[in-house]
Amino acid sequence: MRRLFGSLVLSLALAATPALADKASNTVRFAYDQAPESVDPLFNNVRIGVIIGAHVWDTLVYRDPNSGEYKGQLASAWRQIDDKTLEFDLRRGVKFHNGQDFTADDVVYTLNFAAKPENKVTTQANVSWIARAEKIDPYRVRIVTKEVFPAAVEYLAGPVVIHPHEYYEKVGPKGQNEKPVGSGPYRITSHVVGKSVTLERNPDYFRDSPKGQPAIGKIEIRFIPDGQTRMAEVMSNGLDFIMSVAKDQADQMGAVPFLQVVSGETMRIAFMQINRLPETPTAPLQDVRVRRAINHAIDRDTMVKQIVGTGSRVINTICFPAQFGCTDEGATRYPYDPAKAKALLAEAGFPNGFEVDIVAYRERQQTEAIINYLRAVGIKANLRFLQYAAMRELIKGNKVGLTHQTWGSFSVNDVSAGTPVWFGFIGEDVTRDPEVRDFLKTGDTSVDPTARKAAYKTALSLIAERAYAVPLYSLPTYYVASSDLVFKAYPDEMPRFWEMSWK
Amino acid sequence: MSAQIAPPVRTAAPAAGRRRRWARQGSLVIGGGIVLAVVLVAVFAPLLSPHDPYAQNLTARLIPPVWYPKGSWLHPLGTDNLGRDYLARTLYGARISLLIGGAVALLSGIIGTVLGVAAGYFGGRVDLVVTFLITVRLALPVVLVALAVVAVVGGSLPLVILVLGLLKWDRFVVVMRSAAQKVRTLDYVSAARATGASTPRVLWREVMPNVLPFLIVTATLEAASAILLEAALSFLGLGVQPPLPSWGLMISEAKPYMFFSFWMIAIPGTCLAILIFAVNLLGDGLRDAISPDGRNSP
Repeated sequence: MRRLFGSLVLSLALAATPALADKASNTVRFAYDQAPESVDPLFNNVRIGVIIGAHVWDTLVYRDPNSGEYKGQLASAWRQIDDKTLEFDLRRGVKFHNGQDFTADDVVYTLNFAAKPENKVTTQANVSWIARAEKIDPYRVRIVTKEVFPAAVEYLAGPVVIHPHEYYEKVGPKGQNEKPVGSGPYRITSHVVGKSVTLERNPDYFRDSPKGQPAIGKIEIRFIPDGQTRMAEVMSNGLDFIMSVAKDQADQMGAVPFLQVVSGETMRIAFMQINRLPETPTAPLQDVRVRRAINHAIDRDTMVKQIVGTGSRVINTICFPAQFGCTDEGATRYPYDPAKAKALLAEAGFPNGFEVDIVAYRERQQTEAIINYLRAVGIKANLRFLQYAAMRELIKGNKVGLTHQTWGSFSVNDVSAGTPVWFGFIGEDVTRDPEVRDFLKTGDTSVDPTARKAAYKTALSLIAERAYAVPLYSLPTYYVASSDLVFKAYPDEMPRFWEMSWK
Repeated sequence: MSAQIAPPVRTAAPAAGRRRRWARQGSLVIGGGIVLAVVLVAVFAPLLSPHDPYAQNLTARLIPPVWYPKGSWLHPLGTDNLGRDYLARTLYGARISLLIGGAVALLSGIIGTVLGVAAGYFGGRVDLVVTFLITVRLALPVVLVALAVVAVVGGSLPLVILVLGLLKWDRFVVVMRSAAQKVRTLDYVSAARATGASTPRVLWREVMPNVLPFLIVTATLEAASAILLEAALSFLGLGVQPPLPSWGLMISEAKPYMFFSFWMIAIPGTCLAILIFAVNLLGDGLRDAISPDGRNSP
């Protein structure tokens, strides 16, 4: 059997011998599991769409991923006119892929289009802060926000891209998806909906862009849902780059000579929601001792080391450590202690444990490990592994006691994009503590950064003390690529092909 | 009854016939032997297995079986992706497979026998209704219905047994119906009726014992098919749920590892193949042994 397997690996390796072919044609072949509904960033809410969008379109502002500093991209400079008005000087000499010049009209048209709710931009939170955009002269615009909105520049550096106004007006979001025109470092030369997207270097990309001039000539993106197929393709040299590879598979592929494995932490955190509401299907969870027992039952350090992977770290509060306002200072910690967990369960009147349903939608192996840890202290957790949408319905309907949840905060570096989503009385809040909600609200709406931090700190320690959730760890992501490719992993899970090159 | 099951003794059989009979008994002995062995393994799993099949040890994950250089006798078949002993899980997996096979065959056998014997014995309108039910049932693809039910209600061991049991009675009905039709016309049934026996008594004392062999054969074949279906459902994530050690589930969990840890998928896969092979062999052997004159029929 081993000999048979050895020959399998050998034949794969032999098939992969002409590894230079793609370095020679300067093409990166990349596969992703799902296809975007639209490549137009305004009508997309999945990772691959964000990746394509950042290559094909430019934004007014660029956030340098290394320093976190904002740099002018389509804008050359900007200033705050009053509390609600920002003024942007636009860059001259920028051309869209169809040859049209970039001017103030494009900015005004795109922002006003996106701000109108009837145009149904997919993630309204990305654009709903815009009141209107005004043209001052062909290379100067003003953007007025509905309320004081300090994060405006962050959004203008992210999902709010600028479309060519004449073309966009003519073809609309549908045409922009089929034959996209942007101003970014790459242009789309072919888009077979649901199957593949081909990007080619934009030869007229403007010199001063903070993204720099791309070195890779062509990027072929294919949508391959099955992880094993992507693995097989990368091992037989049918692909040069894949991402979101599970740790074990990445570790194994690291041994293949013509592949490299790169991993890094992401902003996505994993945690467990505990339904303690009066409507909970699992009454024992209403007892704080039971919730603390669950916290003590799980060995997060070992999980991080053994199955989560390099780049991950244990968290003690429900937020990503680098986010503004996130801290675990003063928060109750629950070290791994199964004996104490059992004692707490006995004290709460459940010496033999109880049964509970747990729902999950990704990282199934980690959920199974959690289930086994719970089993070891007597809690019998039944797994229901579902699609995200189906899982949300169950949580909202109080149908499950425990949820293995993950959250990426839309890569926003502020607790306001994370913790309040789960403890601020919004749909999937299954703890609903008014005290916690009020502190979070104070944190979200205060102007003074010190006051914000103090409020968030109190909220986070209340959540920890009352054991409303089980903080687990940050999730890493693994990239597997041809060993000739030079690239870097960023916490926002965005491969930047414009920075990549060949060895 | 025992006279029916034992193969008829012939004094001067030709060489070819002798060989064929040996092969017949061979399949009975081999199939029965393997099935018996699996049953014993399943029953004595707690004694045989060196570890708790649920005990995970994240620091001892993905240890290969002992015949690999990195393997050790501590875990003769290695450990899975959560560091659970693979031998223990394989042994306990036999329990799940046999339980599913047995329970589904029992449940669908009861439904099928009641319907089939009733249709075959009474004929007429009862037969029409039952034939209609068979047609309806045959129009439903088992896997599709099972997938839909499990997707809506959520997978669990009792549910899988119930769904498969309520879907797999069609072959029982067909076989029992034609067997009962045949038996109904025989002299001893007429004789029993002539002596004034009640219908239940005739059914229970005269018809049932004579259709039982067919029932046993059908049950073995259906059990094999149920075991395979459970594995398929579990592989798709819609059968029994983790951490239960089902062979189908083990194959499913091993799928991401198949390029580099082929043994993970090969061990439960081989066990499954051997068990199905043995049950089918046993069914064939039983059929030939029970009805020597029907051995050439398909």
